Amino acid sequence: MEDSKIISLFFERSEQAIEELDSKYGPAVRKTAANILKDRLDVEECVNDTYLNTWNSIPPHVPDPLAAYVCRIARNLAVNRYHANHAEKRNGNYDLVLDEMEECIPSGVNVETEYEAQELSAAINRFLSTLDKKDRFLFVRRYWYADSVSDLAEASGGSANRIYVRLFRLREKLRNTLVKEGFLA
Amino acid sequence: MKRELLSKAFGNIDERYIVEAYRTVTGDASSSPERIVHMNNKRIITFALAAALLLALGITAYAVWSIHTVRQQELKTDLKIEENNVNSYTEYDIPDDQEGGLVLLSSVNDGDIQRVYVNISPVAEEAAAAFPKETSFSWSIDGTEIGGFAAPELPADLSVSGDEIREAVLRYAYDKETQTMTLECYIDLNFMEQAKASLGTDSLPLLVHMTVGQNETSTFGPVSLVRTEEQSRYFDFGHAVYHDAELEKDIEIAGLELTPFSAAWKVSYEGAESFHKPDADWNAYQPWSMLEDKVCIDSKIIFSDGSEFSTGGALTCPYENGTVNLHCGWGSAINIGDVQKIVLGDLVLWEAK
Repeated sequence: MEDSKIISLFFERSEQAIEELDSKYGPAVRKTAANILKDRLDVEECVNDTYLNTWNSIPPHVPDPLAAYVCRIARNLAVNRYHANHAEKRNGNYDLVLDEMEECIPSGVNVETEYEAQELSAAINRFLSTLDKKDRFLFVRRYWYADSVSDLAEASGGSANRIYVRLFRLREKLRNTLVKEGFLA
Repeated sequence: MKRELLSKAFGNIDERYIVEAYRTVTGDASSSPERIVHMNNKRIITFALAAALLLALGITAYAVWSIHTVRQQELKTDLKIEENNVNSYTEYDIPDDQEGGLVLLSSVNDGDIQRVYVNISPVAEEAAAAFPKETSFSWSIDGTEIGGFAAPELPADLSVSGDEIREAVLRYAYDKETQTMTLECYIDLNFMEQAKASLGTDSLPLLVHMTVGQNETSTFGPVSLVRTEEQSRYFDFGHAVYHDAELEKDIEIAGLELTPFSAAWKVSYEGAESFHKPDADWNAYQPWSMLEDKVCIDSKIIFSDGSEFSTGGALTCPYENGTVNLHCGWGSAINIGDVQKIVLGDLVLWEAK
């Protein structure tokens, strides 16, 4: 079903909207959540919460594209749940992703407030705009979607080793960019 | 640093990049990134475009023509085209009767990417000032699903952040009088080949899109784009071997493929092929990876005036035909005809006779 028809169903407050959303974007939403949350029940709750948030936000929102909209909701919910659970449950993959994120940040940089996080986001977006498509794809899949390196290797047709190297170099490049931009505390 | 806020900072990546990277989540695991590009926001908002055109009616044809030629000269200077005898550069004729739309200014071929510089107008000042938060730019090849992103063209040596971006865009890339925005479109040469094969012509219909907010997209063009000739020079190092005392390893540096805007170092070492196969041993590869970086970053290209240049770290390192190819790139051109010497530490890799 086309996105516009699914959105129309939401506007009509038809529960079929959730069925169609799940049918079309369920796998993507589940994968986004599962990349961050290890526990299957957590993932399912996150998926359900994603659909509830979507139901509550359309209308008034008319998201375009719908896919990115629901994936963003799923990611935000999963990350919040991850940090809430973190003391008890560690997810090897997302911990690794977070470790790698920290590695990108030059020593001396503090991200302690929402404002500083926004500034860092803007710098990351500027950095992404300078990358070619292949590298941007890898960076976003790894640090936004939290894909595993093996998934990325499969998706890009290369070896996991090559993906490690490319991600390593991308992190180096981001760190150098942040240093050049004076992104130091 | 709080990891929650770090998660949030990385979580606020632009929607357009998330969409770009989205498609393989859906299960099409074999899709290569090159096939991800889809232009979903091509809807033209007639009212917005009409309003912008009405604003443009007061602009003289001369002023518009002038901003195109001014930008061409600025770009040529910034890219250091003339002073470095760059051939992989095309400068397009400026139409003297075109007051709005898409105008090709120039392009360079850096070996992997054709960087195409264009002017688009009319672009309202509010839209220009809203980059990158609310406004984004992209390009596509009409009649195909090939496309990618574009960005306001800023001077190569300019480093800006936060609100400085808005000021820099308005100062360097936007002309208020003619409501013209100068953009750089990054077009992968492989994409161009795919488009040529798909359309059966060398002359590709280039479109540029501006999206403001969630839905308002204006499309400019098409204009006819052809591939700019590549300029490269190969430096053969024979079987030069660099010994790294710290890592206690030897690496053979076979040669350097150099263009004014990019480089590919060709190296080989013990076990190189195995490290570029699936399931290679990452820990075993790590020291070799550091050595690869050393070749790219610490090697010096020396010119006749004594100045030195480093190609910087490589972003990609494919293993092809028995060698690892370390690909690097940079902004302004270098004069590849003026190279006098290439060294890595005490090792002279190449010297002009």
